[in-house]
Amino acid sequence: MFIFAVRRIVTAIPVLLVATFITFWATSAVSNPLDRLATCQTCSQQAYDRLIDLYDLDQPIPQRYVSWIGDFVTGDMGQATSQGERPVSEIFWERGLNTILLAAPAFVLLTIVGAVTGVYSALRQYKFGDYAVTSVSYLGLAMPTFFFGLLLQVVFAIWIPQWFGVKPFWSSGMHLESPYQYLRSVTLPVLTLMFVLLAGDSRFIRAAVLDIKSADYIRTARAKGVSNRKVITKHLFRNAMIPIVTLWSLNAAALFSGSIITETIFSWPGYGRLFLDAAFQGDVDLTMAIALAITVLVVLMNLLADLMYGVLDPRIRYD
Amino acid sequence: MRESKLLKLLAMLFAFTLVAAACGSDDGDAAGDEDTTEATDAPAEEEEAMEETTTTAPPAPDVEEGSSGGTLIWAHEQEPPDMHLDDPNNGLSITSWLRSALIEGLYGISGATEYYPELLAEEGVVTENEDGSVSISMVLRDGLMWSDGTPLTANDVSYTYDIITEGCDREDDGSIVDGGSEGCVYFTGGYTGTELITSIEVASDTEFTINMASFFAGWKALFSEVYAAHAYGANADEVNANLPEWSNADGVLPSSGPMIFESWDRGVQMNMVRNDAYHGSNSPDAVNPGVAFVDGVQVNFVADTDTQINSLKSGEAHIIMTQPQLAFGERLSTDENFTVASSAGPVYEHWGLNVLNVHLSDPLVREALAYGIDKTEVMAGLYTPLFGDSLPAEGLGNTFWMSNQSAYVDHQKMYEGPQSDAAKANLEAAGYADSGDGIYEHPEKGRLTLRVGTTGGNALRELQQQLIQAQLAASGFEIVIDNVDGGAYFGERPFSEEALAAAASGGAEGDPTVWDITQFAWVGGPWPGGSAPKGITGNGNNPYGHSNADYDVRAGECDGIVDDAARADCYNELDRYTTTLEIADTGLFMIPLTQKPSYYGYLSSVLQGAGVAPDAQGAGPLANVVDFQFS
Repeated sequence: MFIFAVRRIVTAIPVLLVATFITFWATSAVSNPLDRLATCQTCSQQAYDRLIDLYDLDQPIPQRYVSWIGDFVTGDMGQATSQGERPVSEIFWERGLNTILLAAPAFVLLTIVGAVTGVYSALRQYKFGDYAVTSVSYLGLAMPTFFFGLLLQVVFAIWIPQWFGVKPFWSSGMHLESPYQYLRSVTLPVLTLMFVLLAGDSRFIRAAVLDIKSADYIRTARAKGVSNRKVITKHLFRNAMIPIVTLWSLNAAALFSGSIITETIFSWPGYGRLFLDAAFQGDVDLTMAIALAITVLVVLMNLLADLMYGVLDPRIRYD
Repeated sequence: MRESKLLKLLAMLFAFTLVAAACGSDDGDAAGDEDTTEATDAPAEEEEAMEETTTTAPPAPDVEEGSSGGTLIWAHEQEPPDMHLDDPNNGLSITSWLRSALIEGLYGISGATEYYPELLAEEGVVTENEDGSVSISMVLRDGLMWSDGTPLTANDVSYTYDIITEGCDREDDGSIVDGGSEGCVYFTGGYTGTELITSIEVASDTEFTINMASFFAGWKALFSEVYAAHAYGANADEVNANLPEWSNADGVLPSSGPMIFESWDRGVQMNMVRNDAYHGSNSPDAVNPGVAFVDGVQVNFVADTDTQINSLKSGEAHIIMTQPQLAFGERLSTDENFTVASSAGPVYEHWGLNVLNVHLSDPLVREALAYGIDKTEVMAGLYTPLFGDSLPAEGLGNTFWMSNQSAYVDHQKMYEGPQSDAAKANLEAAGYADSGDGIYEHPEKGRLTLRVGTTGGNALRELQQQLIQAQLAASGFEIVIDNVDGGAYFGERPFSEEALAAAASGGAEGDPTVWDITQFAWVGGPWPGGSAPKGITGNGNNPYGHSNADYDVRAGECDGIVDDAARADCYNELDRYTTTLEIADTGLFMIPLTQKPSYYGYLSSVLQGAGVAPDAQGAGPLANVVDFQFS
């Protein structure tokens, strides 16, 4: 397994190089940092020279990319011009932590609720519970993220306080002053992220479980008198886990790389908004750092899923 | 059975949410319960405004009526990249709006878009010298103090000048060479006018004289911020290092404004606390002559406009300020818990005419267009319902002076109201005739079809275009709306390379057919000299193709006139070239429509006194932060 993991990591290097080059090329080609000076009628030549020097704008894009790679591997992530020229390394970890504070509870909740509703729906196929879960799933699939987020704000921050005379259970932005404040600020964005992804998860897990449910070994287990709970947990769910693990790895990559819409609506200072701001403002260093982090995350999550396959199914060998 | 369990679970979750909400602590409440000093009397109109609002919901913070204290929460969409206003990476208005609460200058700008002495005790005195140079004597207010207790003196003014001009190449008389393009260390150096300063002589702690190589009409704008010599940095490099984070090695930079910078949680909020050493506002708009009522200001960076409104409606924010989009007005102006305040700012919308267009090159057609546009209907239909009477009902009639400035004259009075008959008469005089469907055509120039374009996506602007489109159809014009989304419009239409080349060469080069009519906003201000280039032949700010040698000469003269009244007349003369045919038949290349209103929504059920400023486009919601007071 160790050799397999190392091999996968090594083969990921070309993926990282291609992904970062495409991002670098796109960011550099689409937004020029000097555009920021276009509206500055009084900016001196020094201001231009400074930006040219900072981004090596007098060099072709491939050369700039090589220069960026060189700096990056030696630990110099550059300066974020869209963030007051703060070191990218500082912002990178700061916003990364913020993203985790939003994504981790969303991922845990999504995993639990998705599994429960998916399995429940499969076991209650074509009954009321199945129809209820299916309806909610389709609602989640059909509802745009921004609309659901704003709806939650209106319900929890305006309507419920008005109807029941309580304080709004929402606070825009991220607040870590106390656990309560954190809950107030994180609950609605977590619900938004979860609800939007839950629809797909629930349907996917339902299908996976239904697939296994009619397998011979399940029927055999039931014929042997194995309890229903044991059939579900030991035989049914475990065997359905392989496709589900793939789904979870994709979920994790999606959530932990930041959600632009949810973060914007709830003013959450994570990677999503930061990436958008940086890309629009031609902040190459910051854009590249986040893009690289997202790429690494996707590669790692896929690797993790591959490793999990072996744990879940001993027949899988890592030759 | 299982379904009922599910329902019970959902019910429990909902109940838990309610309990959690009800049991919430008051940590995040805006208005605190600290000191309770006596409040200053509010003006009559503010008291009346209060009576019109109710306090049913949302729940208000626990503050005694009329007391001081509490934290004002402003939810705003933009976050500054840093706090260095002159950093070329930082072109956002939010930076100057935040700094307006922290640092003051020699002159401030009032709601009437006019200068008032801010740190000065009285108006500066301009003396013309025999050699053409001028000396401006100024006296600072007594008792000015930085928030750290250090006196604010004339040395701080001199220091500010030294910092922003450090390293600049100089002429023999001390003025700066070539607009500050060489050698200057300070980043942008807004050197317009500053370049003319030859020296600053400090006579005492409060008295100083600014010597200039020649007169500059915008001299009151030169020191809009005065830096603290003892704290902002020993040289320009240090200042450039300290300003972005608003701190030096010892902590936050001291303030001369009503607030002190406290902390900045990037991506979330910025906090300021009251400056108890504040010397009081000199603004004619401020009611409170002393330190601010509120303990502090918290600026929440809320990127989404709908979320801003939800924040306001839930009591999570007390004031928001945004673009005057229709949705914003509709969601708040109908709610009795909120007050929507707007004012006529220094930014104005206009229709700019491409005089190189085959139709618009004829002054009679341009005048027909002016007759055909009924600004009163535009105002009554679109602006007055949203912004009240803060804007003139007849629309704007000047491109140099704004309606709330004392020198303002409506030069387009003769075009006021619906005058389609006059428009058609003009067209007929120009050789046009009705083509049969109400649209006029010329035997050689063809059908009178003109494209109007703007930055698409702004609902208010687009509605305005449609309204004027209908008005002009009744006057024989076929107007085709040709917008481009976002800022790309400028680069693709009036300010494209081809269009500018055509404008500069009178159509000999470039492509004069890129656009016909443009709608966008120019920024005016108390010193209108910056508006003159839009009519100067070949200037980069003149996409209209206007060319008049007399205008060019006069534009160069206005800023050199020392007498205020004569200078105001000079600008008005330039405007008559711009908006009428009274002086030259090259004129009437711009039709000003209206000032772009600043637009605030604030929680009037919680705020007793709101310092929402006139002139917010220029100054932001914190311009009169001393006046905010919780109920």
